[in-house]
Amino acid sequence: MADRRRSRNQINKPYNDKMEEKLVILFLAVVLAFVGLSVKLVSITRDNGEQYKKQVLSQQQYESTVIPFRRGDILDSMGNKLATSDKVYNLIIDSKAIMNDEENLEPTMVALRTSFLGFNENDVRNYIASNPTSQYYVSMKQLTYDQVAVYNDYVANAEDASHIKGIWFEEEYRRYYPNNELACDVIGFTGKDNVGNYGLEQYYNDTLNGVNGRSYGYLNDTETLERTTISPVDGYNLVTTIDGNIQQIVEKYLYQFNEEHKNAARTGNGARNVGAIIMDVNSGEILAMASYPNFNLNNPRDEQKLLGSSMVNEKGAIEYEAEVITQENIHELLNTDDATYQNLNYLWKNFCISTTYEPGSVAKPFTVATGLESGRMTGDEYYTCNGQLHVGDHDIKCHNYKKGGDGTLSVQESIEQSCNVALMLMGKQIGKSTFLEYQEKFNFGLKTNIDLYGESRTNTLVFNNQTMGDTELATSTFGQGYNVTMIQTIAAFASLINGGYYYEPHVVKQITASDGSIVENISPRVLKQTISATTSAKIIEYCNGVVVNGTGKTARPAGYAIGGKTGTAETIPRDKRNYVVSFMGYAPADNPQIAIYVVVDRPNATFQDDAKFATGIVRSILTEVLPYMNIYMTEELSEKEMQEIAELNISIKQAASEEEALEEGEGSEEDDGIIDAHGGDVTSSTEVTPEEMESDDVETAPLTGSVLNTDTGNAVKEDDSNAPE
Amino acid sequence: MPQNKGKGKNRKIGYIDFNLIFVVLLLLGFGLIMVYSTSSYSASMSSGSNNDPAFYLKKQVVATIFGLGAMVFMTFWPYRWWMNLATPAYFVAIGLIGLVLTPLGIEANGARRWLNLGVSLQPAEVAKLAMIIFLATIIVKMGDKIDTPRGFIFALASPGFVAALIYVITDNLSSAIIVMAIAFIMLFIASPQYKIFVYIVAGGAALVAIIVFLASKVFTGGGFRLARIRAWLSPEDYATGTGYQTLQALYAIGSGGTFGKGLGQSTQKLGFIPEAQNDMIFSIICEELGLFGGLCVLILFLLMLWRMLIIAINTKDMFGELLVVGVMSHIAVQVIFNVAVVTNIIPNTGISLPFISYGGSSVMFLLMEVGLVFSVGRSIKFETVE
Repeated sequence: MADRRRSRNQINKPYNDKMEEKLVILFLAVVLAFVGLSVKLVSITRDNGEQYKKQVLSQQQYESTVIPFRRGDILDSMGNKLATSDKVYNLIIDSKAIMNDEENLEPTMVALRTSFLGFNENDVRNYIASNPTSQYYVSMKQLTYDQVAVYNDYVANAEDASHIKGIWFEEEYRRYYPNNELACDVIGFTGKDNVGNYGLEQYYNDTLNGVNGRSYGYLNDTETLERTTISPVDGYNLVTTIDGNIQQIVEKYLYQFNEEHKNAARTGNGARNVGAIIMDVNSGEILAMASYPNFNLNNPRDEQKLLGSSMVNEKGAIEYEAEVITQENIHELLNTDDATYQNLNYLWKNFCISTTYEPGSVAKPFTVATGLESGRMTGDEYYTCNGQLHVGDHDIKCHNYKKGGDGTLSVQESIEQSCNVALMLMGKQIGKSTFLEYQEKFNFGLKTNIDLYGESRTNTLVFNNQTMGDTELATSTFGQGYNVTMIQTIAAFASLINGGYYYEPHVVKQITASDGSIVENISPRVLKQTISATTSAKIIEYCNGVVVNGTGKTARPAGYAIGGKTGTAETIPRDKRNYVVSFMGYAPADNPQIAIYVVVDRPNATFQDDAKFATGIVRSILTEVLPYMNIYMTEELSEKEMQEIAELNISIKQAASEEEALEEGEGSEEDDGIIDAHGGDVTSSTEVTPEEMESDDVETAPLTGSVLNTDTGNAVKEDDSNAPE
Repeated sequence: MPQNKGKGKNRKIGYIDFNLIFVVLLLLGFGLIMVYSTSSYSASMSSGSNNDPAFYLKKQVVATIFGLGAMVFMTFWPYRWWMNLATPAYFVAIGLIGLVLTPLGIEANGARRWLNLGVSLQPAEVAKLAMIIFLATIIVKMGDKIDTPRGFIFALASPGFVAALIYVITDNLSSAIIVMAIAFIMLFIASPQYKIFVYIVAGGAALVAIIVFLASKVFTGGGFRLARIRAWLSPEDYATGTGYQTLQALYAIGSGGTFGKGLGQSTQKLGFIPEAQNDMIFSIICEELGLFGGLCVLILFLLMLWRMLIIAINTKDMFGELLVVGVMSHIAVQVIFNVAVVTNIIPNTGISLPFISYGGSSVMFLLMEVGLVFSVGRSIKFETVE
């Protein structure tokens, strides 16, 4: 045994001692090296640890993706969508993933080419070739779900699906308006990044918008990487008071008016602007609001919509001699971005709340209401018109000055015939301070605070104690000299005919969350009482007369009795014979439920000063709207009217109920019940109105002398109640 | 053979070093965990790995299982038999390196270093094992002649030729250096001389100093190796280029602190250190497990080398001892070089961390070498001395 070992040692381990010694040296060297490495490791951590920690933190891109919120819908009063947001998909190309394998390129391109019409293959191929490591290239934008589904189907059935790589879809929302032009002024539109422009979109921008969600990684306290997803919060929906059907009817006739009158006396639209508002007089809810020319909410920058409009200057106004935009000159006129933008801005503005103008004769009921309510007038006065009145240094003419004036008129006749002289005489009776006091009561010069973006301030456009002299008072009585907006006028007028309650006009009645729960109900707000119920009843009586006997005959729709007042206002410069004509009315005549106001700004006609431009529109609108609202017909239909109604395909609610309605006294509570939008206020006013109206009829008989009532409404009321006897 | 006769007659239980088994398995298991930790994120993000987070882990597990099988085989196969294969192994290594030039060669990451033989294989790893067996054999065969200049030069030149091939054909300087370092250490152990080795080390150090000086001061151009030397001297100046990887590795080590960010919590592996599962895995270990984790790994390696040293000293067979020395030096050199690269002590060069870095060929051949060591260990007999 020992021999064997020795012999092996001798053969194979000649340097046994040295080898062991060297092995130890080797190992010591290794240990030394390890110690050196350890020292270096410690020194890196100790000396540079903090610096490197910051360095690592600073170079982290906390991979964070935004999850977009959904902007809330805008609905009409029946829940139809006026504005909505659809989920759309952007096609993203990840070159790096495609180029991972050469064989991916062709199948991927084929898949995209077959799935998407208009896929720009060349661009994408060039992009991939020049940016093979890029991971984000937007190839197509705003694809719909259906379009993406085609692609997904293709991939699911493709044989080479494993080679279709580097394609994904980024989600976003697209604002979409299902009805294009409908209610464009009211709704407004939304640009990039969910920023609303004009209308509800801008006024309620913050309500409609939600909060973006986010998915991200971050380092927590112990520098651990964590991933978190914060879900987006969707925006709130707006339920408006707009009735899509009424809105549609209104817009149809504004468009029809334009078709009938465009290029009539001059090149261009049927009028510079036509506006219409329908409002629930007992709540201030706007049922419809429109103007023409309009624009397409889905393509608000479409310059074609400017054709027929007059050029807007740098100040955003239209000069008298402004050129009309036509197909021939559009490129020349809109040669700068500024010019285009100014004109589009003018188009986007809501005529009904932004444009100020002199109201003209529609102001007359306000003047009479002022006189009656303040007690300066009894309503029993008679006025004599010789065609003009000398006020201050001016002779102010009446409309039929050439015929020698209107002669002797009662208060009602003054309104019916729209006599300026009679109104100026009333103004003298009322006096400047009372007149101005009531102007403020009627909210002229103040904003209505309607919940739409862009309402004009008119505080500098009305008279005050310093600026109003005798002449100004005289012209103001028939609506010249001060400016109003349409919404101001109709809101104030509603108070004249609903018993004196001034409602804040509003468009949104409810705000709901994305899950359908109600966030807020916006109920009608009565801001003040402008006049008493008695005065209101008188104004209704006078205005009914306008349609029966006076200037507003042409506004009466088939089968209905309505009331109202026409307006014809001269524009500045006065010598150009340009007019704003209008009709402000309500229906039904005995129990006003809705107010309607149509303004035609400079109709396209040789003689513009004819209220028929406006009354015609009102008539057409009401002929369809009143039956739609289930308001019973009360008037006999002539054969011509029968035919008209048959053509419009309107079902007549009249046949059975007409007689009953007349017998029972108008507006029986059952009937009111049909129109659920109108609350208890209606009932109360219906009870009062009929009696008063009857008494008023009697009252029109001349009473001796014109008594200036210094007392308040009570005295007038006593007179009223006494009169029938 | 006398040894075989003795075995048959007086057989006692062969020496089994359980410490070494434990350390090897511990390092392998730890290595798999770290491969998964470092590669799962980038694997799940890349369609090249089918977005499978365990893509690299699975491949590594397969290689490790085959490696363990090979290790067991080597353990029970009498190691002296390998002497017969010394010369063929030498030429097979050369042949495999040559094959890289044929269409069988695989190019990856800009270098042609792999062979596709059904499975991918790195010839340099084969060459390391072949060189250990070949050198041990010729040193034993030469006996005293190793002291003659002719013998010494022959013993250095034969591995030198293979190293040169590795460098020239596969453009893999680090593997060439490792082959030379293994040969040098084996010769150092076998030769009774000291002087000559001191001269060689001194000369090598001088040569390195000159190259570094030239790279930093004289040549501004030059290939990527010179650029790497410059980046090594001041990594911050080359932060976006050549020095990027080194600098990111340093950030990883520094930001880990004493106890690290926790297993799996590295942020540097999320794309900042490319292919973190390969050569730079030690920096991620330091980032996730801190200085503590890094030092533990070094201590494990030291323990492994210590157990091998014990086997080397106790074996009575020169051939066996040289084999163990070869394996020891292979592992030691690779660990030292790898950690030195990661900590920017030496310029960046691709050296993997044994048993831990991702790489099938590497782990399989390392386990075969460990099998050789066990085989040598088994020849140690505990004998009752009187």
